[in-house]
Amino acid sequence: MTDTAPAGFGSAPASSQTDLLRKMDDAQARMAEARPFARMRHRAAVLDMARRCMLSDGGVEVIYARIEQLELSGVFEGTDWADPDTLQAAMAGRTLKLSDTATAMLEALNHLRMLAVAKRDYFHPRIASEQAHNFLSQVVGLNLDLVFASADEASRTRAGNMDTVCRRLYAHIVRNIGHDSILDTLIAEIWRLLAQRPIVVDDIKAMIAQISVWLVDGNVGRGTDGVAATGSGGWGADRLVSAVFGPTLGCREDPGFDVYSARIAAMDTAGLAKEATAFARAMHDTGLVSAYHALFLQHILVHAPALIPDALGLSSTGVDALKCYGDLTYALIDHAVHPETPQAVYGLALTLERGVLFMPPVAPALWRQIGMTLCADAEAAITTAFGSAHPANVFLSAGVLSVLGQTFGVGQGNNPTCQAARALSMWSFTDPDYLLQIVTWAARDDEVVITFEGTPVSSAAPNAGVQHGRPWDVDAVSTIVVPHLDRIYAQMATLCIGREGDMHQWVNRELHGWWVGRGCDIAVDVATGKLSDFDGFVRRFYAAYHPDYNGHQPVIHPQPAGLAMTDSAARYVGWHAISICRVALDSESVMRVYFFNPNNDSGQDWGNDVVVATEGYGERFGESSLPIAAFVSRLYLFHFDPLEQGRPDALPADEVALVTEMARGSWAIDR
Amino acid sequence: MASKDKTTDKDPNKGYVAIFGWSLNAIDAIDRFDRRYIIVAPSWAKEYADQNDIPFMSWDFERLNERSFELGEKLQEMGVDVAIPLFEETVEWAGAVNAVLLKNPRLMNQAMLFRNKAMMKRRAQLGGIRVGIFEEAQNKTDVVNFLRRVNEALLKLDGDPNDPIHVKAFDKAGCLGHRVVRTAEDVDNIPDEEFPSLMESHLDGWEFAVEAFIKDRKIQFLNISEYVHLGYSVFVPATPELEKWRDRVTEEIEKLIEAFNIDFGFIHPEYFVTSDGKMYFGEVAYRPPGFNAFELIERAYGFNCYQGMVLMFDPHTTQKEIDDFFPEEVTGATGHAGCFGVYPRRRVVSELNIPEETENDPFFEFHELMAPMQNKVTKRTAFGTHWGLVYFFGDDPYRMRELLLAQEDLDFYV
Repeated sequence: MTDTAPAGFGSAPASSQTDLLRKMDDAQARMAEARPFARMRHRAAVLDMARRCMLSDGGVEVIYARIEQLELSGVFEGTDWADPDTLQAAMAGRTLKLSDTATAMLEALNHLRMLAVAKRDYFHPRIASEQAHNFLSQVVGLNLDLVFASADEASRTRAGNMDTVCRRLYAHIVRNIGHDSILDTLIAEIWRLLAQRPIVVDDIKAMIAQISVWLVDGNVGRGTDGVAATGSGGWGADRLVSAVFGPTLGCREDPGFDVYSARIAAMDTAGLAKEATAFARAMHDTGLVSAYHALFLQHILVHAPALIPDALGLSSTGVDALKCYGDLTYALIDHAVHPETPQAVYGLALTLERGVLFMPPVAPALWRQIGMTLCADAEAAITTAFGSAHPANVFLSAGVLSVLGQTFGVGQGNNPTCQAARALSMWSFTDPDYLLQIVTWAARDDEVVITFEGTPVSSAAPNAGVQHGRPWDVDAVSTIVVPHLDRIYAQMATLCIGREGDMHQWVNRELHGWWVGRGCDIAVDVATGKLSDFDGFVRRFYAAYHPDYNGHQPVIHPQPAGLAMTDSAARYVGWHAISICRVALDSESVMRVYFFNPNNDSGQDWGNDVVVATEGYGERFGESSLPIAAFVSRLYLFHFDPLEQGRPDALPADEVALVTEMARGSWAIDR
Repeated sequence: MASKDKTTDKDPNKGYVAIFGWSLNAIDAIDRFDRRYIIVAPSWAKEYADQNDIPFMSWDFERLNERSFELGEKLQEMGVDVAIPLFEETVEWAGAVNAVLLKNPRLMNQAMLFRNKAMMKRRAQLGGIRVGIFEEAQNKTDVVNFLRRVNEALLKLDGDPNDPIHVKAFDKAGCLGHRVVRTAEDVDNIPDEEFPSLMESHLDGWEFAVEAFIKDRKIQFLNISEYVHLGYSVFVPATPELEKWRDRVTEEIEKLIEAFNIDFGFIHPEYFVTSDGKMYFGEVAYRPPGFNAFELIERAYGFNCYQGMVLMFDPHTTQKEIDDFFPEEVTGATGHAGCFGVYPRRRVVSELNIPEETENDPFFEFHELMAPMQNKVTKRTAFGTHWGLVYFFGDDPYRMRELLLAQEDLDFYV
């Protein structure tokens, strides 16, 4: 059989949408014809073809046009989607993002069905247009990352290009249901995130850019006079957009760098002073810094340095620091503040405000940072993550300023490296000099050495291995340092093999620093995983941290602690590293634990009414808080100083019972 | 809201058929047809059948035994006209029951022929049909001797690579238990329970299958399924290159009808064409073929083969009905439908990954592959244990052939 085929395999034309649609229509006809009991395999074919179709240009529209026919052919029949009136928006997003391809496709088709019903293109006997509309605005509001955020590694590797399908689907929905209905949700969401003052704000800025487009295009969320309404329609939208794109009179209409440079070159001092305060106000209102702000600072650095305190919005503390370390501050602005690194302005302002420059080693360490030569690996990583508009060390120094200033703004990104993020935050808070040293070792020397009970543990050890790879969705400091810490952490864990008990009692102290309490209390028996002496655990925590039981001693250094994370249904999810910052009464006289959670969004519902607050209860930027009983109900490990004697027995039994009940009702249900 | 309550009116003047075996695709098709029917299958299917209003009778088909007469009488009392086997294991049961229902004891013996590959081959040879060299093997020694004799006859020297022989378990369907044996080690790998078996010399040639619908000793519809690579891929209708054998194929099928005394039904024989243009008979089955060939035929021609089978078996079917049912052979097809059986190529796999070349091919339809349940891939011993099928449809049979062949070089599991 040696004939040559007229049309070779390689010469095939690309699969055209029409071909695929014809195939899908055939498959749909077979599905419609089949008896319900034999429909499953036909449905699988239809769903897969619909998926491939949605991957092509205009494919979502084509499937949308067929959605009624698809339902009538039985695509939802016998599935959970057969009764659209019982579907929940909160579940829908999860199904779409996490389920296997076929199930996620059913959910995608359900989204399109809801859209068709909402737009009255499809009269559905089971669900009203308004219901469908509500479902969609909720589901889009809850899954804004599908509209805005760039794909993370986990979604990129998802089978069947489902991530692309989801993004195309959401783009289509947003185009169709109008921005109005999701704008409120979106803006509230952005303010909620900003209240935590994260260092990495790229996604947030992308969302704000989208809002600004809508405001211009669709005139949504505006009052009749064309000014952004401050009522329910788009509350605070204008502040967000202006903070990023036009915080001052001089750049109100986002004129571009050239125009703005010319304008400020022509301004008198009074004009510049107004610009300076407007920039500072926008920055401290939102935690976002406009690229114009960076341009402005570079300008006044040369032409009007006296305005720098105004432009940074400094209080008397910050001004003092600036006056004492003027040359250093100017050098930092010159080196690290550029339109490509605007957030460094906020980092610098807060660094000055914290007064850390008054710690003798910090200023010289920052001079070292300015002049540092990066090793090839670190340079390549920075260039990959942040581009090559400036030398790599510029981005790193900008990151250093952010980490120093926004102590609790460090996030782990989408990486399982909460210990490393927590360590960076803790060092920035307690020991900034040490942080700068670690950054230097990692960036310049490509090796970090930390001793474990006297034994040096090197991140460059041949057996260190690669743990989780380099994180890319984090700040520059984390990008460089986290892989080193990750490897050291893993080696320390190896050194603990064979010891009885939880390794964190040794590793936490050795990894973080001398201030970690020598005592360590664990709620579970490591061997069995069962709760062990939970009553005593609760009492000892209160005696160590609760002012009423520890002799009114505030927390001195943030202490590492371990949480048993639970989801909104109070089901155990996994262990998680946080640090305890403060324990204090809130404005309603409730004793709260204020803590730092290195995940990127600390406002989480942990189930059974344990909802973590990030603002409104006296939290400082980046802190999370919970009433102490709720906090302890999810705690499984904490450190304390065994030499400090509190009063564990003074804690009333009903408080212990309450905490125990909350723990047993959630993560400890089977323990 | 869809077709849950849809029923097809059953015509009381047409036959009442009993389907032996449980296949959702078959039940779906027959439920949509105008004949009354009952599914006769093992009791594990009863609950499902009841839930879905499928007429059902529990029966254990493990071994043909004296109860076949009892089953025949039971069905006769219900008014059933004929039994139709879906699987190899139910062929002899259907033969025995039809002997009762149609009062024709010959049908029982005919079914036994279909179930024993050595008897089948000998019967074909007696009927003047060309077959390769074959023998029956009771044990491994027989296989070793046959392998040696065949290769001696081919004038192979010690140390020359052997020409392979084929060893097939007597009573297994299709590719199950079909082994290609080249060395003594291959012989060792045959489990004892596969004996007795049939041994055949290897024919270098073009292998293909035929699906023939027969009524009144006449071929009513004949399809040629082109094997691209046995055990991997097949498509219908065949290339014009193979279709030019259709007249010869028809003659061969007519010889089979005579040799096996086939009045009605559906047969699925396999043939070889060797390089010198001779056609050799391989084997024949009296039931739907594997590799979902029925589905491929339906995809290409638009008629349902299970319904076609019912037409062939039902004694009340009229010739007019048949003529209206089947389309023109070859020219009546809207395209070529093919499928590829996937075997993992790596020893260790962790996930299903449809290759981009496949997914983006205009002929690609869909696949029925599952995510791997185990990571270690067991070594293939016999044909017929693919992990699932991938379906294609397109207008160019030559491109289809190339495409199916190209799938063999792709990793569906990584």
